[in-house]
Amino acid sequence: KATSRNTFLLYRTVMEDVINEVRELFLDEGVDEQVLMELKTLWENKLMQSKAVEGFPTDEQKALQAQQQQAQQAQQTQSQTQPQQVLLPSAQQATPQQVIVQDPKIFQHMSAPGMSTAAALALPAGVAPIQQFITPQGQLLQLVRAANGAQYIIQPQQQMLQVLPQMQPGAVQAPLIQQVLTPLQGGLSQQTGVIIQPQQIVLTGNKVQQNTQAAAMAVQPEQGAAHVQPQPQPQAQAPQQQPQQTQASQQPPMVLQVDGAGDTSSEEEEEEDEYDEDEDEDKEKDGGEDGQVEEEPLNSGDDVSDEEDQELFDTENVVVCQYDKIHRSKNKWKFHLKDGIMNLNGRDYVFSKAIGDAEW
Amino acid sequence: MAYQLYRNTTLGNSLQESLDELIQTQQITPQLALQVLLQFDKAINTALANRVRNRVNFRGSLNTYRFCDNVWTFVLNDVEFREVTDLVKVDKVKIVPNCFCSLVGHTTECTLAVWPCLQMFLNSLTLISSDL
Repeated sequence: KATSRNTFLLYRTVMEDVINEVRELFLDEGVDEQVLMELKTLWENKLMQSKAVEGFPTDEQKALQAQQQQAQQAQQTQSQTQPQQVLLPSAQQATPQQVIVQDPKIFQHMSAPGMSTAAALALPAGVAPIQQFITPQGQLLQLVRAANGAQYIIQPQQQMLQVLPQMQPGAVQAPLIQQVLTPLQGGLSQQTGVIIQPQQIVLTGNKVQQNTQAAAMAVQPEQGAAHVQPQPQPQAQAPQQQPQQTQASQQPPMVLQVDGAGDTSSEEEEEEDEYDEDEDEDKEKDGGEDGQVEEEPLNSGDDVSDEEDQELFDTENVVVCQYDKIHRSKNKWKFHLKDGIMNLNGRDYVFSKAIGDAEW
Repeated sequence: MAYQLYRNTTLGNSLQESLDELIQTQQITPQLALQVLLQFDKAINTALANRVRNRVNFRGSLNTYRFCDNVWTFVLNDVEFREVTDLVKVDKVKIVPNCFCSLVGHTTECTLAVWPCLQMFLNSLTLISSDL
């Protein structure tokens, strides 16, 4: 879509600009250029993970191949192997076991435990690799797109030793979670929810909800397995994660694992919406200040039902912009907005002008 | 000073998270991170103003509107966003249009700029009272 392309280009431009402009600042503070590169990589990866924008083209083919090799090596164990990716040189990478997170539709018929990494990477026909990247934890992710437009992320299950011990709870996870739902924007009211965590991707089989996105949120990693939030935080390091990983791999349900734990999609997992909400909360903040945006609507006395709609959507649809004019006549409002960035159904869009009507 | 409102977007948040990680590992100082964010503000504001030239239309029903801390927030339901051929529908969307007085830390200097906000606020008061 033209819009996606525009957004992607815009982001690219901004990122390049920022990196170039701060180079001198880094030098002034005696910070190595490598750190600047790391910032760039982290930034790009997070953006990719959010799946808010398509196509950060890099050597996806190469990456995919590399992954395939890794995947084949790595079927079972959680042992770590030498780093395969150049992106995060300091991170060791565990041999990844590949997990595919995908559109629930597809997932449903790929639920067989036997799904091997190889199979996963083989990918249904028509899948094209888009992007491959490494999460801050050093995990390898491969973004691919199927012919039907659904996007998948292939991610190794194992958590690798990470260079960056601390991850803010909501930091990487939330965007991942939200964005995985993106492929569902076609209106799937699927049940399968997905949670992606830095450590692993968790699929919950039948997490209902009308809204897939909501489902994702609700998706809870089965306890042992993925945990979404709790896990990364306490752990600073890989060692801790290892055991979890082990658990995870043993946990049948969520994780669509290569190592044979069939995904039983028995998800009755805990609802871990927290991070999710955090992400949403952030988005609710307005532009100028980091806001204290209260949740109480101005006219809370009205008959309007409270916003439980939040549960419907994984991502909160937000438009952050400036305005030329906002006009009201009786109960008809007219908005003349400009220079905005929108996140709708998990995707980012930008506009120079937006004109809207709403009736109150 | 460029508006900081774009920090709470996918692009801005991912940058903030990245910076946070580097601070955690002590690879950069918080001060440097702040400088980067300020540079981001400039870059995104400029890019949006100069490199984006598209128009979007939308229509929906207004659920709530509020004005707190100099910030307007509108919540719309059943909204359709349309751009030429693309159509995106959402059940609920929050619109946060920045106004001048939202420049962080400069509210005292924005007296004149506050006027649009006051204007809207007054309008909304009128609306409320007329419904009573």
